Amino acid sequence: MGAVAQAVASGVVTGTIYALVALSLVILYKSTDVINFAGGDVVMAACYIAFITVVVAGAPYWLAAIVAVLGLFVIGAGFDRLVLARIARGKADNLMVAMVIATIGLSYVLKGAVRLLPHTEDVQTLPPAFTGPPIFLGNVILLRQDVGIVVITVAVMALLYLFYRYTRLGKGLRATAEDPRAAVLIGIPVQRMRMLIWAIACALGAIAGLLIAPKILMTPDMGDIVILAFAAAVIGGFTNIPGAIVGGLALGIIENLVGFFISTEAIAVAPFIVIMLVLAIRPQGLFGGAPVFKKL
Amino acid sequence: MFLRGIFAAILVMAGIGTAQAWPVGSPSGHYADPGITDTEITIGLFGPQSGPLRNFGFDAIGAAQMWYDMVNRSGGIWGRKIRLVIEDDKCDPTAANAVVRKLVTVDKVFLLNGGSCTAAIVATQEYITREKVPTMMLNAAGDNGVFPPTRYMFGAFGGTQLTVGGTIADFVARQLKAKKIAYLGSDDDFGAANLAAAKFMAHKHGAELVAVERVPRNIVDVTAPILRIRQANPDAVMITTYPQPATLAMQKISEFQMKMPIIAAVQAVPNPAALVKAVNNPAAFTNFYYGSPLNDLTDGPRQQWVLKMYKTAFPDRKPTAFMAYGLPSAQAITYALLLAGPTPTRESFVEAMSHLHFETGVMAGPIEFDEHKRDGHNASIFIKFDGTQSTRMPGVYVNEYRGNK
Repeated sequence: MGAVAQAVASGVVTGTIYALVALSLVILYKSTDVINFAGGDVVMAACYIAFITVVVAGAPYWLAAIVAVLGLFVIGAGFDRLVLARIARGKADNLMVAMVIATIGLSYVLKGAVRLLPHTEDVQTLPPAFTGPPIFLGNVILLRQDVGIVVITVAVMALLYLFYRYTRLGKGLRATAEDPRAAVLIGIPVQRMRMLIWAIACALGAIAGLLIAPKILMTPDMGDIVILAFAAAVIGGFTNIPGAIVGGLALGIIENLVGFFISTEAIAVAPFIVIMLVLAIRPQGLFGGAPVFKKL
Repeated sequence: MFLRGIFAAILVMAGIGTAQAWPVGSPSGHYADPGITDTEITIGLFGPQSGPLRNFGFDAIGAAQMWYDMVNRSGGIWGRKIRLVIEDDKCDPTAANAVVRKLVTVDKVFLLNGGSCTAAIVATQEYITREKVPTMMLNAAGDNGVFPPTRYMFGAFGGTQLTVGGTIADFVARQLKAKKIAYLGSDDDFGAANLAAAKFMAHKHGAELVAVERVPRNIVDVTAPILRIRQANPDAVMITTYPQPATLAMQKISEFQMKMPIIAAVQAVPNPAALVKAVNNPAAFTNFYYGSPLNDLTDGPRQQWVLKMYKTAFPDRKPTAFMAYGLPSAQAITYALLLAGPTPTRESFVEAMSHLHFETGVMAGPIEFDEHKRDGHNASIFIKFDGTQSTRMPGVYVNEYRGNK
């Protein structure tokens, strides 16, 4: 029983990370209809920015975290302004396809740029922000770092909720996501809102990266985690923010339980089996509303 | 003079030459194969010189290069100097295929010496076999390139994954006296190979694998496999994954306060110092060992001649952990050219390679080929690493499993 509880507890910690990355994908998709395939590499880039700031520049961890989050905020805004906005103004037959391809381009640019940095040939790690002896809950062992991950993730999600719900800017973003044309008519600068949502999504990815780097380790390929974030988003419903959170948590726990009770070789395929089941039974995801058909 | 002395000593060890200079032949002026003249023999040397996997091959190429340079300074082989054409395959199968075709058709090399990654070199095998170009892998494990054996491809100068798995089980059972062994490996061909050999060698010594956990290389949470290993209550845990899962496993094992010995494969610990930093818990290394195909610690007394040679050849560079891995294939090529006589053909060279048996002075065991054996090396040493100090454990460990391939 202790082992099962341990598997679930670790699954919750890993799941919150999936949830945070999934959240960065979902808020973007909700507001712009663009699926961000660079989401994982945003996480990775943030980790390396923080790592270089700490290890090479010798800065304290808190400063490195600020540099990484701000850095990705600027990269996100810049990507929208310099690439996506231009694509939107162009005459491409299918704007969405062009934009999605652009995110794949961003993914390669980030990965290539990081590989130019020193220290990328070995597995690296960021020092954990929370240290100290582990916490014992019966037979379950929890690292302080794991507790910190859950607490910070929940706090970030709560702040995001409050921002969207109660601030003027957040309401503007929601309006842009709901109906961009109507938003323009009531004077909301939709283009600027889209830039802001890219910046926020990338900053969220950066926070996720800072939290997971001490836990899952850093390599230039760590952005593969985006696949699991996609899985979390699909399970919860790609347009539903609470759904992404529940999807992430469910995925983390399912992976560990499948690995523990069935086989560790099944861990890799478990998320995709769950995706297929969800898509077959409830295509809009567990928390998505009724399917929406858009006129093209 | 120093290098000549070393070179002569190795020739004597190899039982191939005498402690004299390389023989000078009587060139015929007519050659059946490309890449050879009265004064020169051309070798295509390739591996990753750029890209994310550069570290696997960059220094190994340097080591091969310094060996060929030394042979040239000693007068060449049968009076011929070795000319190298060096190319970058980035460890990428597509690039490797392009590089090999270019070396064979444009540069018209006599033979190929290259490949630091299994997937890349195996991708060239069909072409190499069709064109009948002798190819000696540089430092790729190359399981699928040497099993089943084909005539023109020789490899595994550092050992295959059969060697990795078999030698760890040999060490764990014989040296650590473990009877119940837990295995954590990759869920790919590498894992399948080292697991099969580990099972065989454990069984041979009366031990058994009580937990077999195979994980993807990009796993982010190893809680489940480590819990299963903990439940099996093993005497020792062997880890043959890539570095990231190995590091996560080390973290988790120490988090769960498991005290049994941990023995990692060389691919799990490409850089011990980086592992210590990544694990971030010195207690994890109280009972930790890792394998190596070399005959000593990378800076140990038996590796000093290589380090000295490297320093002379590349005074501005610092050797990586993979440097010495590049020497044995170059040694094998020069010895086989010597054995093939003054007018070698590609076929006579392959015959010479097929009977090669020599000590490299750098690897844990001898390099041995025969008519039906194309994997050259099959031994490992083990190093106890406490997080700061490395100590070589006594003995050399071998794999006796040849597979069903």
